[in-house]
Amino acid sequence: MKKSIVHIQNLNLKYQSNLVFDDLSWAIQNGEQWVLYGASGSGKTSLAKAIAGLLEYSGEILINFDDKSKLPAKVLLVDSWYQFKNLEGVANFYYQQRYTSQQAKETLTVNAELMYFGKENHLAFADAEPILIALGFERLKNSQLIQLSSGEHKKLQLVKALWLKPQFLIIDQPYTGLDSASRENLNILLDDAATGGVQLVLISNDQALPSCINRFAEIKDGRLAIANEAFKISALPNGSLGEIPRFLREAPKYSSELIAKMVDVNISYGEKQVLKNIDWEVKAGEKWLLQGPNGSGKSTLLSLINGDHPQSYANKIYLFGNRRGSGESIWDIKQHIGLISPEFHWYFDNNSTVWGSIASGLYDSLGLFKTLPYSKTIEVDELIKFFGLTENKNDLFNTLPLGKQRLVLLARTIIKNPELLILDEPCQGLDHQQTQYFNQLIDELCTNGITVIYVGHYESQLPSCLEKRIFLEEGKVKLIEEIKKEKVQEHFELVL
Amino acid sequence: MSNYFNTLPLREKLNQLGVCEFMDSSEFADGVDALKGKKLVIIGCGAQGLNQGLNLRDSGLDVSYTLRKEAIDGKRDSWKNATENNFKVGTYEELIPSADILINLTPDKQHTAVVKAVMPLMKQGATLSYSHGFNIVEEGMQIRKDITVIMVAPKCPGSEVRAEYVRGFGVPTLIAVHPENDPQGKGLAQAKAYAVGTGGHKAGVLLSSFVAEVKSDLMGEQTILCGLLQTGSILSFDKMMEKGIDAGYASKLVQYGVEVITEALKQGGITAMMDRLSNPAKIKAFEISEELKNIMRPLFQKHQDDIMSGEFSKTMMEDWANGDKNLLKWRAETGETAFEKTPAGDVKINEQEYFDNYTLMVAFVRAGVELAFETMVQAGIKPESAYYESLHETPLIANTIARKKLFEMNRVISDTAEYGCYLFDQACKPLLKDFMKKVGTDLVGKNFNEGKDGGVDNKKLIEVNETIRTHQVEKVGAVLRRAMTAMKAIKTA
Repeated sequence: MKKSIVHIQNLNLKYQSNLVFDDLSWAIQNGEQWVLYGASGSGKTSLAKAIAGLLEYSGEILINFDDKSKLPAKVLLVDSWYQFKNLEGVANFYYQQRYTSQQAKETLTVNAELMYFGKENHLAFADAEPILIALGFERLKNSQLIQLSSGEHKKLQLVKALWLKPQFLIIDQPYTGLDSASRENLNILLDDAATGGVQLVLISNDQALPSCINRFAEIKDGRLAIANEAFKISALPNGSLGEIPRFLREAPKYSSELIAKMVDVNISYGEKQVLKNIDWEVKAGEKWLLQGPNGSGKSTLLSLINGDHPQSYANKIYLFGNRRGSGESIWDIKQHIGLISPEFHWYFDNNSTVWGSIASGLYDSLGLFKTLPYSKTIEVDELIKFFGLTENKNDLFNTLPLGKQRLVLLARTIIKNPELLILDEPCQGLDHQQTQYFNQLIDELCTNGITVIYVGHYESQLPSCLEKRIFLEEGKVKLIEEIKKEKVQEHFELVL
Repeated sequence: MSNYFNTLPLREKLNQLGVCEFMDSSEFADGVDALKGKKLVIIGCGAQGLNQGLNLRDSGLDVSYTLRKEAIDGKRDSWKNATENNFKVGTYEELIPSADILINLTPDKQHTAVVKAVMPLMKQGATLSYSHGFNIVEEGMQIRKDITVIMVAPKCPGSEVRAEYVRGFGVPTLIAVHPENDPQGKGLAQAKAYAVGTGGHKAGVLLSSFVAEVKSDLMGEQTILCGLLQTGSILSFDKMMEKGIDAGYASKLVQYGVEVITEALKQGGITAMMDRLSNPAKIKAFEISEELKNIMRPLFQKHQDDIMSGEFSKTMMEDWANGDKNLLKWRAETGETAFEKTPAGDVKINEQEYFDNYTLMVAFVRAGVELAFETMVQAGIKPESAYYESLHETPLIANTIARKKLFEMNRVISDTAEYGCYLFDQACKPLLKDFMKKVGTDLVGKNFNEGKDGGVDNKKLIEVNETIRTHQVEKVGAVLRRAMTAMKAIKTA
């Protein structure tokens, strides 16, 4: 009988001080391509890290590489969270740094990074080309790593993994942040890799998987339960939301009918133009959906509204009734806005507690540097209760599983009951159930007349309150339209 | 031009050295009002220039940059930094005549040339701002009497000034008004508004004077900050080589050790740093640091004396005039040391190991910080000023060593600091010769606690703790650190 490729026996694993797996056993046989799914915090990522040798464990994990294979005898784990370093090997970047143009080159270019990776692993550069094309990455070759958006960082990780083609490839959340075209192409690339002899384990709660996937397992309560199919969406139980705290039921106090107005806005870095002739108006109370492929300029557009972009001073932008650059500070702007984005999450202050993280939203700071008035501490407590985070209130932000971290950041965005909510892919990395819960929350919170700009790639994962859509392509406004209510409703029901 | 400090009567010398007030946050309630609607023009667009300008503009102020004509025509990096972030850029002739506040953020060495060129163009009653007082105090630059002269000096590298601002915080900042140039009495209000504009008021502002800033800054950088860290690093590495410790390990221990050790210093002063050691190691580190203080005290005093008398700046300026002959020679010599040439090994050293296996550096840091602080205070500098220029800055400099060893440290610090650092290093090494003979691998390279039972004498330990904790640098530090607890840790290793 042929040896199994991966053989796990009596695996015991701890996350912080909690036992995640207790005597887990699992075997991967030749020809099996796996998907693992499970709730946030169930231990999917820990298992992957243990197999890749990145976590300490007790028990046995045996990997039998095929010495006849031409593929490198390696286990590669593609993390769900990206990581890059500057030229001196320091990962010490800060939020919105990428919008500032600085001549002192801090990070490598994409091209140099790939060259380095190729050289280190003895790969032929020609083999990377088709992957770069399939994922729409070639135009980014000369960009510096720090200039990439979160979706583009994800793609760079995938490019490297698919180029290396290790014998054993584990990808944690392969689709996070990818636009729908890249997602389809990724599935084709994964099928090709599997045909070429790569053993795959995907960690994903998605259903649109590559066709090579033939084995499924759910991780639940510290066990691995073999399943016959991909993760099935089950409806949320009714009435799972409690009552919204009173201070959030009041309508936000609008300082102007016009939230944001852009007139012929252009943004470029050197020769590269990222936004072209943008005209857009957001009025108080409107609910916008902002869409576009990876790299189309969505985050840059939002950074203009949030006061994060140095080039906004040379453009004609009106925010909350005032012309940008007329003597206002960025803090004057931010006080009207609650924002969540993958990038903001990446740079968030990991050392603050859940309570402090939420409270910091009152002052728009990353970390809490002020003492709250008593009335505000009550509001923070009420909101924590509403979000079901009371148990975690004194925990450090970075010790929570990703899904809960997102909830904390969502709570942070609404703590001051702002005029405008900017929700840039708020559900990235969440499973379907969490996404549904999250979007229901947003729908509930929106009933008070708040203005919303929401970024999301997948139609089936949007809140139903959205009314208008703006679509960007290569830095231009391709389309502005009303969203037909029935259509969204239909989608929503399909999901449920 | 003659040394400004030396022209003062003793009474006025002491008076200016003694300006030192840690400002209450209520002092900043007017925000940026004093600068609102005024034209702020920054000379130079390097790391400090660009990042301070970004902060000031994001605080609602009108900021533009003036550069030399060659920099604009040649589209140099400073021009690109400014224009690509949508700042207005112009020549001296174009922008300076309309400037209300002219902010000089060029390197120290260029100050005389820059200030001579811009002064005739400045309008009546404008303000000139510096971030370091060397030009005014040591070079004795005379500024037109109608002009207000202030100083605003964030005590961190430019990138951190920006990073802390955008997260809603700031970096500790020192401000001052030059008493010879405050004709309208508006200097302090403008300096405070400037500190608010860069976010400094959130992390603590120290009101100082040009004189106090220069005399303490020079002292700190030559002795503990750069000088002693260089001497200590080289001697430690050489000792490990002599005792047969693996070169890659030794190189890594020294390169990153000083950063890890001083991170504890940053968070909780000498006390927190010493508390990371086991009890026996702490007592040992205490004893040898006392010994080090006795050996090095005369050298620290000599540096302070030469700084006060102007002797140091005089000899350094002679070297400037001589094409930096000495500086370049000493820089090359530092590049040739064994530590500099041995790459850090591919070994994992965990955080506690840096303390346990590098007790010698803990002793060096305690001795250096306390000595620098004590010597400054004895010379008439106030404890708060002395704290910023000794303990506060040590982790920042240690971070540059962790990045790329001594070469990086000497590249990042000013030429003034670099020159003083080499002077100190050359004098300090021979002084420590006999001391280093007694040092074994238990103090550097191997775990101090190995083969010991961990027992200590109660009375001895209490006495040592008492001495460490009641030192004046600890008392002042506790107050100042409270204002900046929110600053993020710098991490490399």
